[in-house]
Amino acid sequence: MTSRYMPENWALPALDDRNRAFFTSGRIALQECAKCGTVQHPPEEICHACQGLEFTIREVEGRGTIHSYIVVHHAANHALRYRVPYAVVLIALEDQPAVRIVGNLLNIASEQIQIGMPVRAVWEEIEVDGEILRLPQWEVIEGRHGN
Amino acid sequence: MYRQAAVAGVGESTYYLRGSSPHSAFQLACLAIRSAVEDAGLELRQIDGLVSYLEPLVVPPKLAAALGFEHLDFSAQTWGWGGNGVASAIAIADAAVTASYAKHVVVYRALRQTEKERFGRSAAVPRVRGDYAYTAPYGLVTAAQVGAMQTRRFMHEHRIGQEALAEVALASYAHAQHNPRALKRGKPLTRAMYHESRWIAEPFHVYDCCQENDGAAAVVVTTLERARDLRKRPVPIIAAAQGLDHRDGLGAFNEPRFPTAHYRRVGELLWQRAGVRASDIDVAQFYENFTGCVLMAIAELGFCEAGDVEGFVSNENIQWPTGRLPINTSGGNLAEAYVHGFENVNEAVRQVRGESTCQVDDVDLSLSVSAPGYAPGSAVLFCRH
Repeated sequence: MTSRYMPENWALPALDDRNRAFFTSGRIALQECAKCGTVQHPPEEICHACQGLEFTIREVEGRGTIHSYIVVHHAANHALRYRVPYAVVLIALEDQPAVRIVGNLLNIASEQIQIGMPVRAVWEEIEVDGEILRLPQWEVIEGRHGN
Repeated sequence: MYRQAAVAGVGESTYYLRGSSPHSAFQLACLAIRSAVEDAGLELRQIDGLVSYLEPLVVPPKLAAALGFEHLDFSAQTWGWGGNGVASAIAIADAAVTASYAKHVVVYRALRQTEKERFGRSAAVPRVRGDYAYTAPYGLVTAAQVGAMQTRRFMHEHRIGQEALAEVALASYAHAQHNPRALKRGKPLTRAMYHESRWIAEPFHVYDCCQENDGAAAVVVTTLERARDLRKRPVPIIAAAQGLDHRDGLGAFNEPRFPTAHYRRVGELLWQRAGVRASDIDVAQFYENFTGCVLMAIAELGFCEAGDVEGFVSNENIQWPTGRLPINTSGGNLAEAYVHGFENVNEAVRQVRGESTCQVDDVDLSLSVSAPGYAPGSAVLFCRH
């Protein structure tokens, strides 16, 4: 995928050691404590369960449900003037129900969005400043929505 | 300490539409503090402590110099994103005077909202860090959008309709019509106007979102004993609380108790310290950043079950003069002025004194609740005796 849901000149993550896997791997790559296995999202500097300082990456299925959503009508700044209205969704992961991920829904109109719809992850590939980002986004799984 | 400190004076500057104050934030703070100190019947030189919250510009050493404080023996501010720290700041002042770190502490907040930096306007693609990296690239950048995401889930879980949000806005606007300080006085809101108004971020209409204003407000806190010798009848601080459950301040909607206004723990502490229950409260000011977040705070503080919140706010139950629990009786952030919630503290004090423009009869317990949805929450309870 090459085009973005948000405008081409809109904000992107600045990569660092903690978020690189999530924003470049093309998988739902979460932070996992190397000592006790606790999964934390967004990634933290220390494990909130055992105060461990070493982390590994846990890759999970890119499947979940819509936990909440908003439809933005007021452009919070200039760069979004021609993008409104747009929807932002909050996804609860099937494999890690305590983890919620913010994204956009690429395959249905905002008026059709309902809490509880099953979704799968897709990736927006964006080249910026010599880096390839793979931004997780979401699609409603066809044939399973509307209930 | 409980019931050992009191508010001795309240004051404010004139409130202005955003960007229209002829004075700087610092000047507005000075005007509000002078007004509060005069209300208390004190001299400026007698003030020896200053407390605020999220106040980067108007700093105590300069204020103390400008206002002629003989000594500045105590200064502090609370942690937090902003409006959630209003009552915590009062609690710090209470602690300072009861522990004798200072005698007369002024708590203040001044705002002058000018053109903010417009994120995303530059030609280069902006890169964002920390928790923000997980939300901003998807177009989620404002407080209203954050509040809308929380509120949508809250409405879904508890089968709450848009009317519940409308009720909060209608109450603030109704009360503002009686208040000469209110910027929305003379601009009444009807239910039809609410529903026909433009969306900011669904489920929030424009009337669900607070104003942006220029202004300042302040109170003088001292010991109850000292306050008894001052000009106005003291308004005792029966209890204050700041509180947060484990991990509930996490970013990007990953709080374990999402959606939460961060008021469950605050309620637990406040009612225990004060020895009263939510149902004992006569009048309450709820910081309205957004109407939906107020509903969440009402439920978390135990005024009703979350599933009953629509009924709790309906049928003018939160409107003066007939409501069971009148809220935001000055017009609050929505319709008096957005002074980062400090106007709600002044109103809570005025309700105990009998000075409100929507005065509830026989007020014994008057509550002021800080911003919902930002961690940690805080609240302060004033009483007559």
